[in-house]
Amino acid sequence: MKHEPLVLGIETSCDETAIGIVRGRTLLANVIASSVEEHARFGGVVPEIASRAHLEAILPTLLQALSDANISMKDLDAVSVTAGPGLVGALLVGVSSASALALALDKPLYGVNHLAAHVSVDLLTHNKELKPTIALLVSGGHSSLLQVNDITSSIVKLGETMDDAAGEAFDKIARVMGLGFPGGPAIDRQAVDGNPAAIDFPRGLTQSSDWLTRPFDFSFSGLKTAVARYLESTPDYAKSDVAASFQEAIVDVLLLKAVRACKESGIDSLVIAGGVGANSRLRALAAQRCARAEIELAIPSPALCTDNGAMVAALGSLLLSAGARPSQVGLEADSSLPVEVLSLS
Amino acid sequence: MTISLAIDTSTSRTSVAIVDDGALLWHGYRDGATAHGGALSILVSQALAVQLTIDRVVVGMGPGPFTGLRVGIAFAITFGQAREVPVFGVCSLDAIAATVTEQTDFIIATDARRKEIYWARYSNGLRVDGPHVDVPSLLDDERPIYGEGAIKYGLASSDENQFPDLVALVEISMDSARRVNEAMYLRRPDAQPTSERSPA
Ligand SMILES: [Zn+2]
Repeated sequence: MKHEPLVLGIETSCDETAIGIVRGRTLLANVIASSVEEHARFGGVVPEIASRAHLEAILPTLLQALSDANISMKDLDAVSVTAGPGLVGALLVGVSSASALALALDKPLYGVNHLAAHVSVDLLTHNKELKPTIALLVSGGHSSLLQVNDITSSIVKLGETMDDAAGEAFDKIARVMGLGFPGGPAIDRQAVDGNPAAIDFPRGLTQSSDWLTRPFDFSFSGLKTAVARYLESTPDYAKSDVAASFQEAIVDVLLLKAVRACKESGIDSLVIAGGVGANSRLRALAAQRCARAEIELAIPSPALCTDNGAMVAALGSLLLSAGARPSQVGLEADSSLPVEVLSLS
Repeated sequence: MTISLAIDTSTSRTSVAIVDDGALLWHGYRDGATAHGGALSILVSQALAVQLTIDRVVVGMGPGPFTGLRVGIAFAITFGQAREVPVFGVCSLDAIAATVTEQTDFIIATDARRKEIYWARYSNGLRVDGPHVDVPSLLDDERPIYGEGAIKYGLASSDENQFPDLVALVEISMDSARRVNEAMYLRRPDAQPTSERSPA
């Protein structure tokens, strides 16, 4: 039997200090320390607070992950870390820590792309063969449609948001509605009792001309403005209906474009990843529409959608198995690492 | 013999040394680093090529610009955990003060950026005031001033004694009363949320 690599992954690109351990495609540990509560009163992530929290949490998180996986560091075959994109000060804590592990243990180090890691984590929950897929990556910082030809070597960006990320739009609308931070889960909860068809909010970049020029790009700023205007002009608005209708507008356009990308590329597989992938309406509507379009849908469990270390370990494991070259000693974090660069050599 | 791996990233110099008790076995540094990240790993890999077995890790805890400072501390504490050896922190200014031999009462000042300095006052080999972070003009003092920050703002008594000495860093770490357990930031974080959250 082939030896399945034991890989530890470190993720510190934003406000989660996260470490995961996988053996091949089996998840052994996934520990997350979040500083989200420290950011809540600012209505967004404060980079320096996040970075300080990473330094405090990195060792306890590491020890917990090793204990959960019931392994010793010496058993590891490789260390994997998010090298970018992300907040530079936050990334540096993880990269420095991972570099120390790799040097202390004399193991190969993979500095991987956070976005590709989000996509690869699905392979821990759905034990399917590696094949081309379309990936909808939606979170607080990014909204992109990717064509994943090979998760270890080739990702092509089909489109991305022109303005706000989907998760950012959730944050901003939740803030004006007084629902708290982070906005995604707050809107999701509020929308449960609402009517998604109550208010017809605009769907950005879905005019017929848009389908010709920007078929796979997103824009949420018009929607944001429309919701803000509605709230102003309707002082006694029904919170649940606004939340449900706003959420529907986002989810609708995300899925319209994702399904279109599958059809145009001839790829009948869709992976949804990133924090917004935990949204219950997105999950339900994606299941419906993919079934209708005969697209094989995979969405990681909600815990694996938001930032985590398992996804970083998963990508490291796939890269190691595919014989990818590890990162050189002296790996630097790259806060604007493009999605096409899966790992830094 | 006790082998220490010593690391300091609190100034613009990324510095790594292997110290055998009080003797310097290997020392390497890179100047001008803003983030220290890549330079630190390269230096440590060079150090390990000379001396693979490490008994303890000593790291400068600042004060220093936050991002670079954390690179050194995160590296040191993780390395220590991986090798199952103890890690000790020391105030980086103390390890600069140890290089001053011609005076007994003086001030060490490093660059805190944003037109400020980190500083502390020393008397007969011990820190008696600080560390603090202030604008350089507040250092209106008769005493001689040393360090990278003093040179930057034209306050320095000498071009020497700019950076922490890692043999001194190790020596100071032997005294439990002079160890520091937390990063010395001295400033509260700027509470400015980013609009660019996690890029995914
Ligand atoms: Zn993410």
